[in-house]
Amino acid sequence: MMKQKKSSLFGGVTLAALATVIVMPMLLPSATLATEILIFAMAALACNLLLGYTGLLSFGQGIFFGGGAYVASICMINWNFGLLSALLTAMLTGALLAGLVGALSIRRTGIYFVMLTLSFSQMAYFIAYSLSDWTGGDNGLLDIPRPALTLLGFEISDLVSSQAFYAFVGTLFMVIFVFARRVIHSPFGTTLVAIRENENRASAVGFSTNHFKLLAFVISGGITGIAGALYAMLLNFAPLSNIELQMSESILIMTIIGGTGSLFGSILGAGSIVLLGDVLSAVWPRWMILLGVALIAVVLFMPSGLWGGVGSVADRWREYRRRKASAIKSQEVN
Amino acid sequence: MSLYLFQILNGIGLGMIYFLISVGLTIIFGLLNFVNFAHGAFYLIGSYLCFTIVSLTGNFWLALALAPITVAILAFFTERTLIKRAYHLPHTYHILITLGIALIIQELTISVWGPIGKSVSVPDALQGVFQMGHFYYPKYRLFVILFSAVIAFALWLLLERTRFGALVRAGSEDAETVSLLGTHIHKLFSLTFALGVGLAGLAGVLAAPIRGVHPFVGVEVLGIAFVVVVIGGMGSFSGALIGGLIVGLVQSLMTTIWPQGSSLMIYGAMAFVILLRPYGLFGRA
Repeated sequence: MMKQKKSSLFGGVTLAALATVIVMPMLLPSATLATEILIFAMAALACNLLLGYTGLLSFGQGIFFGGGAYVASICMINWNFGLLSALLTAMLTGALLAGLVGALSIRRTGIYFVMLTLSFSQMAYFIAYSLSDWTGGDNGLLDIPRPALTLLGFEISDLVSSQAFYAFVGTLFMVIFVFARRVIHSPFGTTLVAIRENENRASAVGFSTNHFKLLAFVISGGITGIAGALYAMLLNFAPLSNIELQMSESILIMTIIGGTGSLFGSILGAGSIVLLGDVLSAVWPRWMILLGVALIAVVLFMPSGLWGGVGSVADRWREYRRRKASAIKSQEVN
Repeated sequence: MSLYLFQILNGIGLGMIYFLISVGLTIIFGLLNFVNFAHGAFYLIGSYLCFTIVSLTGNFWLALALAPITVAILAFFTERTLIKRAYHLPHTYHILITLGIALIIQELTISVWGPIGKSVSVPDALQGVFQMGHFYYPKYRLFVILFSAVIAFALWLLLERTRFGALVRAGSEDAETVSLLGTHIHKLFSLTFALGVGLAGLAGVLAAPIRGVHPFVGVEVLGIAFVVVVIGGMGSFSGALIGGLIVGLVQSLMTTIWPQGSSLMIYGAMAFVILLRPYGLFGRA
C-alpha cells in the first residue's frame, strides 16, 4: 500500500513530466518558448484541479493569473521584492482572490456557477482597467524586473539568461506538479473526484462539499497566481490581457484540449497550443480557428483530450500486438 | 433636462437592441435547455452582413431584411450539424462547444473583413434629426426604438397567439411530453434555435449604423446578453425586455459619468441577482 502510493507520486507520469521538462529546451528553438509553455502548463494544471478533478468550469482563472502578475510586479517595482518573496506574494494573491471568487461562486451550481465566475472575471478586468495608476491600464505594466534567485543571502543565479530562467521555472514546475499529484492522490483529492461524479451523494456521505470546493479553488488560485507572476517576469511586462476573459478562456481551452482529469494532459495542452500559436501566428494569424475546431472535436468526440487520445492509441497498439502474438501462437499450434 | 432625455432615449434604444439579443438567448435556453455562448458571434455576423450589403448595394432596408434571415439559416444548419449532438450533455459541454463555434466565427470574420472596425452609414430616409419643440433627436435612433418595439410585439404575438408559440411554451415546460403528444420536437428545436439566433442577427443589423461593426464586439455582446437574461430570469420574455431596458439605461446614463463603472455595475448586478434571486427578478422559482 505504502509502496503503491509512493510510485504514484514519483513514478510514471512524474518521470514523464520531468523528462519533458529536461528535453523540451533541447528540441525547441528557444528557452523562452519552453518557459512560456511551462508557465501555461502550470496555469492549465491549476485549472485542471478545478475542472478535471472537481468538475467546476471556472471562467475566473484569468483573475488569479492577472492578479498574481500585477501584485508581484507592483511589489517588485515599488518595494524591491526579491524573486521568492514576489512569487510568494503572487501565490497568496491568487489564493486570496480564488478564495473570494470561490466562496461566492460555489453557492450556486451548474450554469449559475459559471455565470458568477464570468461576472467576477469581467469585474476584475474593469477594476484593473480603472486602477491605471497601479496597473498601467490599457498600456500594461512596463519594466518589470526579474530579480536574482537568492537563498539565505547567497545569490544562486541572476536568472538573466533565458536558460537560467527556464531552469528555475522548470524546477518550480516540477515542485508544483508533484504537489498537485500529492493533492490528487490524497483523501482530499479523491473527495474532489467524488464531488465531480455526484455532489449530492458526496454530501450525503457526510462531506461538506463546499469546503472541499473552496479549498480546491484556493489551491488552484495560488498556483495560477505563481504562473501569472512568472509570466510577468518572463515578458518584463504585465499586459491588461492577462486579466481579460480571453485569458481565462485560453487556460480553459488548454486544459480541455490536453485532457481534463490528467495532469500530464495539461502539459500536452499548454505545449501544443503555445507551440501552435508560435509557429502559426506568423504565417496564418487566424490560426485560432483551429483551436475552435479542436475544442468542439475534443468535447464531442474525445472527452479525455490529447492525453486520452495518446492513451487510447497506446491501448490499441497493445491490443494489436497481443492479437498478432496470439495469431502467431495459434499458427504455431496449427 | 434635455440632455437627460437624450440619454434616456439612447438608453431605451440600446435597451431594445439588448432585448432583441437576449430574448433569443432566453427562448433557446427555455425550450432547448441549451446555453448558447455563440450568441454574440451570430450578432457579429449580422452586423458584418449589414456592412457588406450596405456597401455593395447602398440599401439598408435590403440588409435589414436579408441579414437576419441569413443568420437564421446559418444557425439552422449549425443546430442540425453540431448543436443537436450536445443536447444530452451537461451545460458545461454546451458552453465549451459554443465557445468553440464563437471562436471560429470570430476568427473567420476577421479573415473576411479584417481586424479593423468598419462603420455603416445611416440610411438616407432616416438621416438627420427629429425635432419636437426645442428637443432634437436623431431619426435613426428613434426608428430603432419603434422598429424593435414592433418586433417585440410581433414576437409576443408569435409566442402567445400561434400554434408555434404554444408548442415553444409547452416544450419549455416539458419537451418530452410535447414530443410524446406527436410533435416533431427536433424540428421545433431547430426552428426555435434559428429564430432566437436570427433575432441576435437582427440586433446586429440595427446596431451597426449606431455603434459600427468590430470583430471583438461579439464577446462584449454575449456578456451583456447574459447579464440581461440573468437579471430578467432565464427563459422569461418580459424579463428580457425589462432587463434589457435596465441595462441599456444604466449604460447610457453612466457613459457620461464613468463608462467602466457602468460595466462594473451591470456585472456586479448580475452577481448580486444570481446570489440573492437565482431565478432573476422576473423568473419563476
